[in-house]
Amino acid sequence: MTKKRNNLGQRMYLLQLLVRRNIKNQYYRSFIGVLWTVLNPLLNMIVMAFVFSAIFGRHTDGLDYPIYILSGNIIFGIMRGSTSSSLGCLVGQRDMLQKTKVPIEIFPAANVFSALVTFGFSFIALLLVAGFRALPIFGGPYFVFPWQIVLVLLILPAVTIFSLGISYFLSALFVFFRDIKHIYSVVLTLWTYLTPLFYSVEALGSATVTKAMMFNPMFHYVEGFRELLRGDIPNLMFSFSSTEPSILLMYIFAAASLIIGWAFLEACKNKIAAYL
Amino acid sequence: MENGRRDVVLEVRDVTMKFNKYEVGVNSLKELVVRAFKKNLKKKKFECLKGVSFDVHRGEAVALIGKNGAGKSTLLKIVSGILKPTTGYARRYGRITPLLKLGAGFDGNATGLENIYLNAAILGYTKKETDEKLNDIIEFSELGDFIYSPIKTYSSGMLARLGFSIAVSMESEILLIDEILAVGDIAFNKKCHAKLAELQQKGLTFLIVSHGEAVKRYCKRAIWIDGGLVREDGDITTVFKHYTDAMMAKKPQPAPAPKAGVEQLIAKK
Repeated sequence: MTKKRNNLGQRMYLLQLLVRRNIKNQYYRSFIGVLWTVLNPLLNMIVMAFVFSAIFGRHTDGLDYPIYILSGNIIFGIMRGSTSSSLGCLVGQRDMLQKTKVPIEIFPAANVFSALVTFGFSFIALLLVAGFRALPIFGGPYFVFPWQIVLVLLILPAVTIFSLGISYFLSALFVFFRDIKHIYSVVLTLWTYLTPLFYSVEALGSATVTKAMMFNPMFHYVEGFRELLRGDIPNLMFSFSSTEPSILLMYIFAAASLIIGWAFLEACKNKIAAYL
Repeated sequence: MENGRRDVVLEVRDVTMKFNKYEVGVNSLKELVVRAFKKNLKKKKFECLKGVSFDVHRGEAVALIGKNGAGKSTLLKIVSGILKPTTGYARRYGRITPLLKLGAGFDGNATGLENIYLNAAILGYTKKETDEKLNDIIEFSELGDFIYSPIKTYSSGMLARLGFSIAVSMESEILLIDEILAVGDIAFNKKCHAKLAELQQKGLTFLIVSHGEAVKRYCKRAIWIDGGLVREDGDITTVFKHYTDAMMAKKPQPAPAPKAGVEQLIAKK
């Protein structure tokens, strides 16, 4: 019994080391280092806000447009970051997987947690922007801090689990089919546009699109997060007529993703070690 | 562990390993689809191991010998738990360190010190255990102040020294070694052999894959793997003699040992 627990503790320790290595390597050699994780979404947001605010700026249901863009992007970034880095992670760790007894699941997991750490830094950027927009300058304040913002802790586990499932699946699949890298980058671009990151669903004014959005897991995570920023709390339950994000659905999507991803990885675990 | 087999630390029973091998390596979706359409997707199953059984007792040092492609490395991976056998099982009673490649998972951008922790964690040790052994590792590796430099600045000899130091300093009960006894320069190599001898004194169990006679100094027993089967298991001098004779005799195969799929594949090419 104690041995089992020790084992788990040891894995958590290894996971921690791997996450630290990922974060370090990501910004290794860049001049301002980890500060880029804050600056990157910030600069992105400025460009996007500059380009799109005239077109979509008035349809954000009361949320300030720069914050609208930034909030969507950083939540989406958890999924984007973890899945795209997980794609090649098993192949990249060929040596370790073939020559040592490390549990294979730890590598995609390390990438997901790294993406979560990056989110943490991006979240600081969001708070900075929000703080700036809350100042009474340039005709402001455009934003008021709601207490609901702390409920992001309710959404994060769901996005993380969801990303973990996809990461498991993709990392295993990539071992056998190296060209899914190109396919996935297209899928990811498509997914980025199908999720209301810089536009809003209402602005499109199509009932079909609004309905279809309910099947996009990322919509729930992104919009759910924005509702918190507006000072609302997302619905817990969901109904088939609803067009709002639902916390229950967030976790259903997450669980489905994890089960599929995990099962797939487990099924080809032994083949992976032999195939690499 | 208290099941009356206390002195058996490795138990390998009827291990077979089958690989699914495409005749031409298919590793992209495009290729799979194209070949599936052309009905050109020949799968080839080959049996790498065909029912291997042996026991290793505590404190024993066993050499695994056999020609290239006989399945030694696969067997070592199965024994260490990296691969699961198709049938049969390999059980380990005790902590095992597979030394199949020195410094697997080293990160070039990190310092030697950071890599000690990372590598030890990969081998399955906790932070506390690594802390305790840290001085031994650094001292043994003779890296001195280089330990604080990123390891991408290391020479390959330094890397091997660091990897070896980590692996032999951590407390383990079974050591699996895959032809890595040639580490560093002559002086360090000598030190490595001394260290292995010291570990053997302490009662560690060794399983060493080798082609050379160097293993004779540790091992009294050798297992000769040929064509996925145990051809001979016994006193190292005898087994080595038969093995060398068979290798020298080349083509004429005395025993009806069936040829493994690997060899057939190679022969075809």
